[in-house]
Amino acid sequence: MAREEASRGDGQTAQRPSASGHAEPFDRTSVDWEAAENSPEFKELIRKKKAFVLPATIFFFAWYFGYIILSGYAPEFMAESIYEGFTLGYAIALTQFIMVWVLSVWYVRKADRDFDPLARRAAEKAIESGRRATGPGGGSEVTAR
Amino acid sequence: MNVFFIAADVNVEALVIFGVVLGITLLITYWASKRTHTTTEFWAAGRGITGAQNGFAIAGDYMSAASFLGIAGLIFLFGIDGFIYSVGFLVAFLVVLFLLAERMRNAGKFTIADVLSFRLNERPARAAAALGTLAVAGFYLIAQMVGAGVLINALVGLGFELSVLITGVFMLSYVIFGGMLATTWVQIVKAVLLMTATIVLSFFVLERVGFNPVDLFNEAVAQSDDGEAFLQPGLFLTSPIDTVSLGIALVLGTAGLPHILMRFFTVPDAKAARQSVVWAVALIGAFYIMTTFLGFGARAFLGTAGEESAGEGGNLAAPLLAEEIGGGAGTIGGDAFLAIISAVAFATILAVVAGLVISASGAVAHDVWSNIVRKGRESDREEVVAARIAAGTIGGIAILVAIVGGEGLNVSYMVGLAFAVAASANFPALVLALTWRRLNTTGAVSGVLLGTISSIGLVVVGPDFGVLDDPLFELSNPGIISIPLGFLGCIVGSLLSKGEGKAARNFDELYVRSETGLGAEVGSAEGGLRPRGKESAAAVSTFVQI
Repeated sequence: MAREEASRGDGQTAQRPSASGHAEPFDRTSVDWEAAENSPEFKELIRKKKAFVLPATIFFFAWYFGYIILSGYAPEFMAESIYEGFTLGYAIALTQFIMVWVLSVWYVRKADRDFDPLARRAAEKAIESGRRATGPGGGSEVTAR
Repeated sequence: MNVFFIAADVNVEALVIFGVVLGITLLITYWASKRTHTTTEFWAAGRGITGAQNGFAIAGDYMSAASFLGIAGLIFLFGIDGFIYSVGFLVAFLVVLFLLAERMRNAGKFTIADVLSFRLNERPARAAAALGTLAVAGFYLIAQMVGAGVLINALVGLGFELSVLITGVFMLSYVIFGGMLATTWVQIVKAVLLMTATIVLSFFVLERVGFNPVDLFNEAVAQSDDGEAFLQPGLFLTSPIDTVSLGIALVLGTAGLPHILMRFFTVPDAKAARQSVVWAVALIGAFYIMTTFLGFGARAFLGTAGEESAGEGGNLAAPLLAEEIGGGAGTIGGDAFLAIISAVAFATILAVVAGLVISASGAVAHDVWSNIVRKGRESDREEVVAARIAAGTIGGIAILVAIVGGEGLNVSYMVGLAFAVAASANFPALVLALTWRRLNTTGAVSGVLLGTISSIGLVVVGPDFGVLDDPLFELSNPGIISIPLGFLGCIVGSLLSKGEGKAARNFDELYVRSETGLGAEVGSAEGGLRPRGKESAAAVSTFVQI
């Protein structure tokens, strides 16, 4: 990857806003990635994300495989009519659609409101740590401060 | 006289509508070709596609003829079992949204291999990922090409070979001249056409039963030889464990489909990537619910008598239903409806095969040629040339295989196999590369190999392939065995081999980058990443000014 970047893309130093709101070009070697990963900001982002994604994933897998397993092993149950020939199996299948719509909209709203600001802060923190390490005066400036 | 016979066989209305659709796609391609010069433009449409546009394009890329005609046909023939496919195909997008959409956009560039090689040894990791991509795209592509030939032959009256050739030539012109931009807009147009046609057809089906779906189900049951069992699972998916295996492959496979994952590189950022999933599930979900109206409608109105003309797998059930709804065979309305649905089915196939070819050309030109053979020495312009040659070659091979194999080529297992390989080879390696620090090159390569070989192998010795009279493996769907094997290959391979400093070190960067977007590829310029170890004073000073 690094090699391939070396052969192209040079000279394009236009300042462009990126996903995380910082300006390009971006020097990946200037960031202490291990420190960035261990920063409280990044840890909070991961914790918040996990707190939503993990239970949501467990739920949708359980609900989905519940439907699949019932379809495979309990066909009579799934064929039971709940309203004049409208079957339970069809109803459960429809709940899968609703589940997908609700969870995806919910996730996107959470990401817009909670995850994105946290990600931005974690990215800023990472850039800052890089600046301290490689900026003018290097690390000594940091200790002097 | 002979000429008249041929003319009588060819559905002229369908041909005219085909022509209009093809004309529109060629205009799109011409427009896109003027905007396709760099690799980012060729493979990622300059990363300028909006979230909503990408959502439509994903829907257009995803809903193949197997979805439109296949599921409607399956429901027509076997009742509710067909709907299980619909549910699996849709729920799969939650896996994509929660695990991969944003991370792929942040971490990758053009291909799945970009993400793996970010932290692993470049050449083996790229080779393995390219293999997974080509296996999935190859099976999918051949199934679609043969399907296109059979369908156009049946619906329009053109010969099988000619139909395959037309499909192939148009598919290739989109990709070669218009790259991802043309492919994207062909997919968007297709999604709009398909949704409109399905809504109209569903409306007329429901109108016939007084907008009471329950009456539709009851009428379908009344028209079925299976009676009440028509609404009970098990007519098509007769083995419960096979159903579960299918369910696993459906829900995890989408997250390993290269042509779907590639779409996330076309948007400007992670936010647009996740928005595109919401648009996609809105469209795809609505569509799949309507497939039940088409399938049950076909059963209710075509009845047992329609089974023979609907062909193998009931693929022609939806077009025949359109003819019936329009007033029946031979009437003006019936002919017009049949022609429109045929043209929509054709557009459906074109959009999917174009997406498959561009993702396969990424694996060949970007991964194998530029980064393995040429070791990244290639210029941007050279890589675009290589991409066009690769697309032409892949498309040419697919056309050839479809024509030589002919209509008799058994493609029924191929889409299922594509999903199984995607779930068993691509998905484990990708997810673990993004989340598991210990993964190393040996692990990723052995996982991809084991996943690919086991899913293909189990299908070959299974009941559908047709080589063994007495199948060694009883399930049609290998997922329940091959997906755990794919994960196991990655994990055991990593644990048994030496830890790689690079893999663990770069994991920190990949992890932070995939979660925050820091350092992600931007816009149409390739300035998102600076070369490692090349700390020019200018770069550092610009950076400090921020």
